[in-house]
Amino acid sequence: MSVEAIDLTLDLPQADAPKAQNGGPLAANLLRAGSLLVFALVFLFFSATAPFFLTVGNIGNVIGQSAVLGVLSIGLTLVLVSGGPNVVTGGIDLSLAANAGLSAVVYALIIQAGYSDAVAILGALATGTAIGAVNAIAVVVIGIVPLLSTIAVMNVVAGVDLVLTQNTVIPASSDVLTLLSSGSLFTIPALGIVFILFAIAAALVLQFTPLGLRLYATGEFPEAAKAAGLPVRRLTAFSYVAAGFCGGLAGILSVAYLSGTSTGSGEMLLPVVVTALLGTIFSRRLVPTIPGTVLSTLFVGFLVNGFQLLNLSSTLVSGVQGLLILLVVSATTLLRKEEI
Amino acid sequence: MSDPSPAKPDLHLDFSGVSKSFGGALALDGASLAVRRGTVHGIVGQNGAGKSTLIKILAGLHKPDAGTLLVDGVSQPHLTPALAEELGIHFIHQDRLLVRSFTVGEALFLGREPRLPGTPFLDRRRMQREADAVINRYFGLSIPNGRLISELSTAERQIVQITRALIGKPAVLVFDEPTAALVRREADLLFGLIRRLRDEGITILYISHYLNEIEALCDDVTVLRNGRTVAALPVANTSARDLARLMIDADLKELFPVRTIARGETVLEVDALSLKGRYEDVSLTLVKGEVLGITGLLGSGAKEFVRTLFGLEAASSGEIRVRGQRVKSLKPPDAIGRQLALVPEDRRGQGVALDLSVAENTTLSSLGRFSRFSFLARRAEKAAVQALIQRLQVKTSGPDALLGTLSGGNQQKVAIAKWLSAQSEIYLLDEPTVGVDVGSKAEIYALINELAEKGAAVIVLSSDLPELIGLSDRILVFFRGQVIRELSAASVTPDQLLAEATGSHIREELAHVG
Repeated sequence: MSVEAIDLTLDLPQADAPKAQNGGPLAANLLRAGSLLVFALVFLFFSATAPFFLTVGNIGNVIGQSAVLGVLSIGLTLVLVSGGPNVVTGGIDLSLAANAGLSAVVYALIIQAGYSDAVAILGALATGTAIGAVNAIAVVVIGIVPLLSTIAVMNVVAGVDLVLTQNTVIPASSDVLTLLSSGSLFTIPALGIVFILFAIAAALVLQFTPLGLRLYATGEFPEAAKAAGLPVRRLTAFSYVAAGFCGGLAGILSVAYLSGTSTGSGEMLLPVVVTALLGTIFSRRLVPTIPGTVLSTLFVGFLVNGFQLLNLSSTLVSGVQGLLILLVVSATTLLRKEEI
Repeated sequence: MSDPSPAKPDLHLDFSGVSKSFGGALALDGASLAVRRGTVHGIVGQNGAGKSTLIKILAGLHKPDAGTLLVDGVSQPHLTPALAEELGIHFIHQDRLLVRSFTVGEALFLGREPRLPGTPFLDRRRMQREADAVINRYFGLSIPNGRLISELSTAERQIVQITRALIGKPAVLVFDEPTAALVRREADLLFGLIRRLRDEGITILYISHYLNEIEALCDDVTVLRNGRTVAALPVANTSARDLARLMIDADLKELFPVRTIARGETVLEVDALSLKGRYEDVSLTLVKGEVLGITGLLGSGAKEFVRTLFGLEAASSGEIRVRGQRVKSLKPPDAIGRQLALVPEDRRGQGVALDLSVAENTTLSSLGRFSRFSFLARRAEKAAVQALIQRLQVKTSGPDALLGTLSGGNQQKVAIAKWLSAQSEIYLLDEPTVGVDVGSKAEIYALINELAEKGAAVIVLSSDLPELIGLSDRILVFFRGQVIRELSAASVTPDQLLAEATGSHIREELAHVG
């Protein structure tokens, strides 16, 4: 039959005209520019008012002090990437702070029991990874909403922590801990160096390998990922296990930082969530990235540091962090709504 | 091409006896599909005929309950998405499966990313180079590689989807309603491309509602109806009219009772209503006792129009008057207040609450009637529900039975009962018999008739054309955002109606002109 004359479609005015696509990116740019501006203003304010804020030593200090927060936020970033942007049903791991607390306890107990650093490091990392695996099973295999399952795991982990420590601080000292807490390179404390190296490794994986790209696809559009033949469930599970590993590493760093365990590891939860969510603002596509998370780690670090230097109450910091979560989540939610 | 029984080795895909049911509803009932290598093969059928189920089985997304699937003469009983891709079967999905925050290069290579030699890292430069080469070769244009999917137009996204499939070096390429969102120039471009791909030896499966596209583009066509293959023939031996006739089930006539029409006063007037990008300049009047049918393909704007009448979409211009009163910025509560009722197509998602009882569902929109001092008067509620259950012949163990335990047809009766209880006067029924068995269908038809006879005004939106003709007094046909015909139900046949809705008229009109 003839294959000329295809008279099928009438041009319906404006029906299929490409939607004005500038709104989303423009608003995203404004949001990013605005947050960078706030970052700069906060920085300027503290350098003008707080003594020593802008000294080389202080900046190095902030990087070192931010190490635990940074490593945990990187873990949460992985989960956010593979879980997608929906704040309620998407990926989240609320057990990370408690995970770091328990991993620290395991490390300290092993050192106290007289074993070597190597055994303690393995023990702490295994503890963190195992908690991550429990999360992965709850979320991927059983299918509980991450918000619920990880908060349940958080409580279990915190409970085990209490049983092991009787709510006391377990002091610990070893060669590795001493090196981590007092060593430094180019005025950056060893803890900061570990954080920077770990961030570079994580960024290489997430931003530059096929695995990273696939994690993003899994979170953003699982149907598209499935259609591309990706093992979506396995990728999601991987992100929780990897986050658990980050919890273990953060535990080791916190033992070094505090020369022992802490009874208040759970207090880290809010800053971790703030940091990982805030990080999305620093990416062009408004998605969580490792460089974005590192930037927001430093931002939160400088904020806490500035408040300390100005002798302001630390409860004020929590208030500001809560406010930041609300701002970031509402801004990105609104932007995404506009896009769709 | 006209060989009636092609030699088996010539068949690229050969499906036979394929059945698949979802929760008791039979989607495919022994369907077959035989596609010759290197041809463009059309698949047509009305909504619910089983097209998408068949395609999902080919994609490995559904597992058939029965039947054999031969690909290249080899039986594939355990088709998975990965295996389908290995066999060279690629899909251009209707709902563009692309990650919005990805760049063009990332979207194209997701799942088969090239790596920098000797490293685990992505070779972004190579991704860009290859993407450019393929897009340029097949489309003669370039999409800047750094752009995000969310920044592309619909047509550009489709190009990315097709390119993604082409990079996989496909043997079979499946297009699912590819022109639904394209303007004509873009569709022409697509057809040229499809012919070129066929000439390069790729087997093409082409699913479309637009019969004139099938006529113009395909070599062979398979017609599905109610999950069965009712015809498989060379396009050269058929016409859009014949195909329309094959697609329609003609044995339903006796289901429709005759209605004595008692026309009353005008209750609903719509004046030049438009919703940007969906439909434009739609006007109608509806009187008491009338059943107005509306039909149109997906994307024709018919569904959005009906949703606008209930306040679920906001019209961009035009006017709606209910009983002569102009309604500004209609919202569902206003609509209910003005005695409008909507029974949505997505019954389980929007029409009823499966976890509530029959009684609770029935009185959900009329709780005010059964409340005393803000407390529910359970006894009055129960009595009213009991009466409605009997009147509508809802098959249930009682008012307290959970709605989820009822059959689809009986759930739908409850969805309508909800509005009867609210004493609605203008009914908007969106695909009222979708997923409903034949027996319940007849009962629902009778119910709609009874409503009209008692003075309600009814708008029925349906893609089941015999149903629409049997129920309606007159029928509006939507096509690409406009009402292109108003027909008297008494004098139209289903295949005429289908020809109108699928755009065959355009071909004829143009033929008359030139």
